[in-house]
Amino acid sequence: MIRTLRILAANPLSLLGLILVCLITLAAIFAPWIAPFPTHNGAVVDFLNNNRAPSARNWMGTDLVGRDIFSRILFAYQISLTLGVVVLAIAVPIGTMIGLLAGYIGGWLEMILMRIVDVFLSIPPLVLAIAMMGVLEPTLTNAMLAVTAMWWPWYARLVYSIARGEREEGYVLAAEVIGAGAGHIAFREILPNCLPAIITKMTLDMGFVIIIASSLSFLGLGVQPPTADLGSMVAEGARYLPDSWWLTVFPGLAILVAVFGFNLLGDGLRDVLGVDE
Amino acid sequence: MMKNKALITALCAATALASPAFAETVLRLDEVAVGELDPAKASDYADSILMFNVYDTLVLPAQGGPGHTPHLAAGWEVDGSTYTFTLRDDVMFQSGNKMTAADVVYSVERMQALGAGLSYLFAGVKAAAVDDTTVTLTLETPYAPFIASLVRLPIVDMAHVKANSDSEWGEEFLSANGAGTGAYSVTSHNPQEETVMAKSDSYFLNVADVAPDTVRLRYGLEPATVRTLVAQGEHDIASQWLPPEVVQALAKDGAQLLTESGTGGFYFKMNTQKAPLDNVNCRLALSAVFDYGTAIQMIAINDDVSGGSPATGAIPVGMFGANGADMAQAQDLDAAKAYLADCPYDPAEMNLEISWIAEVPLEERFALLMQSNFNEVGISSSITKLPWALFAEQVSNAESTPHISQLFVNAVTGDPDTLLYGMYHSSTPGTWQSPEYLNDAEVDAALDAGRTATSDAEREAAYSALNARLMAVAPTIYGFDRQSVFAASNRVKVPALSDPAMAFGLDGMGFSFRLMEMTGE
Repeated sequence: MIRTLRILAANPLSLLGLILVCLITLAAIFAPWIAPFPTHNGAVVDFLNNNRAPSARNWMGTDLVGRDIFSRILFAYQISLTLGVVVLAIAVPIGTMIGLLAGYIGGWLEMILMRIVDVFLSIPPLVLAIAMMGVLEPTLTNAMLAVTAMWWPWYARLVYSIARGEREEGYVLAAEVIGAGAGHIAFREILPNCLPAIITKMTLDMGFVIIIASSLSFLGLGVQPPTADLGSMVAEGARYLPDSWWLTVFPGLAILVAVFGFNLLGDGLRDVLGVDE
Repeated sequence: MMKNKALITALCAATALASPAFAETVLRLDEVAVGELDPAKASDYADSILMFNVYDTLVLPAQGGPGHTPHLAAGWEVDGSTYTFTLRDDVMFQSGNKMTAADVVYSVERMQALGAGLSYLFAGVKAAAVDDTTVTLTLETPYAPFIASLVRLPIVDMAHVKANSDSEWGEEFLSANGAGTGAYSVTSHNPQEETVMAKSDSYFLNVADVAPDTVRLRYGLEPATVRTLVAQGEHDIASQWLPPEVVQALAKDGAQLLTESGTGGFYFKMNTQKAPLDNVNCRLALSAVFDYGTAIQMIAINDDVSGGSPATGAIPVGMFGANGADMAQAQDLDAAKAYLADCPYDPAEMNLEISWIAEVPLEERFALLMQSNFNEVGISSSITKLPWALFAEQVSNAESTPHISQLFVNAVTGDPDTLLYGMYHSSTPGTWQSPEYLNDAEVDAALDAGRTATSDAEREAAYSALNARLMAVAPTIYGFDRQSVFAASNRVKVPALSDPAMAFGLDGMGFSFRLMEMTGE
């Protein structure tokens, strides 16, 4: 762990990624305590101070109903990170399991599982999520469901390709010769060799999940008001460009910083864990 | 001979060079999609703009005051329920056909047959042509504001429609082409994108040279796009649906503000069939808790111009039955708590769905204001964004209609009947105007009395009674009396929207392009 951190720290970009991710995570966790206006995440209106440009009182200005944009961005990170973590926590085990089974066992199981994966991969991710959200009610839980449904196939594909290569390796054959069961070989022998790739992809994907979730709320299909969400903040503010630029620019920058941070960290981890591109 | 020809050519060239250049003037404006060109299906603002310019009506609202003046009609007489109109004999359709009484009869029958748009205004009317220039319209039941409703009866060129269409009513033809007598003819039409109109040279009234030669009406432009286009000098009149901040920014940059007022309001309509709003005390509590003062602040553009004025009751100030301006609605938390005490539902368990129309961003702010107001008395609520088309579908049954719907509604003929009957009469539930699903015998009786009363005093009494009853049963939170504000460039003057003495008491009529003046700036 310390060695990993040391290698990460040696690369300034990876270090920057790590710092950004830590800052965002801390900001999200401690939002209720560090936000200057903690109540502004909810149903609060303050029309005496609405649509104000950035100032000492409101560092990133206020929105059209007078809520502090900086405070709302901190709370919006909570939603984005929760969504990213939950989506990956569901998508990764499902995808890994399917990929592992298809890759190691092969045969008709491989045929069936990987064709299902292909069907999911053939639909553009955002279109699939929009279709699901169109049928379901637009809530945070359903947004998570929709994004998860489009995310697991990528892990299935990744793990499948590694497992397929690994099953011909000497250590797998050796385990088979001494009579190890299929479950043992898949989970105890092959899976550990897939982990570096999975961890790297998860870090990179955090950024992408945040973008997709923001796109959904930009389209009005994600988290509903008054809950703060980066995508819907950008969507609302876009109508008032260029005059009230702070409504769009700061939530947009917040998305950029989060995605940038996770990508840099992911790149760094890839180098550290020795994962091939 | 050759010499002469060369001389003539040279003279012509010299004349052309010496003539002043009369550049074609183009007026550019926008509205929300879709632009319905078929006049029998016209109902919203964009449709009205098209209808009032491509078609004409028998009468027009008088400018700067109440009443109506003859337009395609030279005059009319009333005998009980029979109205006899004498038509002008100098009116030509854009096709070159002469307008006759048969066209009026065809237009009434077409309206009734299609049964769309505002056709309900003419449901019980029997039209008959006496001769080429005389037509009678006979009503099945007395309808006091009948003359007012004629501003919604555009006269269609029967011969032209029949020549261009196989069907009796030419629906397909008229949804893509114009067939009126109007001062502007349609040169191209895409209901989702743009309608282009050109000044007609055969109009029966004088149209000033300064009126725009070409008009481009675009649909569905984003506020940020309109803001940029106006700033770059590529747009002339912005729609009324721009958020106040954008209008403010445009005004700051030198745009003029045009206004149209007096025939409608902004309403928060409560679904009276759905718990907890099926109880009158719960509805009264919500009416009392709403912060009307802040709502008025939210729509102010500057010190002089605002998107509305305080509501004084269910009927906008200036109409029959309206309360005085001193009775402005105001938030009253104590009254709200008292009503809540009599409401059989537990406020903590209510979860009211407040919807807002996706195309009108301002409504989201009203939803947030309302949510925050409800919180003050412990009522929780959720906010739903609904595109217009989905909203119109949801309100068609009480079950799927949200608890609270936000709507701008105006009197389509300028008469209170067309504002209130469609909203509150029990025979018209489940339209976009009536998501309240109100069913109240007293309200019905007052509405019917307003229709059949013969004198202004009787109508005033009927609508006063209606106003009092609507305040008592509170199907709606009456937000504010609406004034439409349009930001416009200085390339155009619109007397009907800037000079009260020239204003029509009818929404959309101010957009008669023939009365606009391009300044050449």
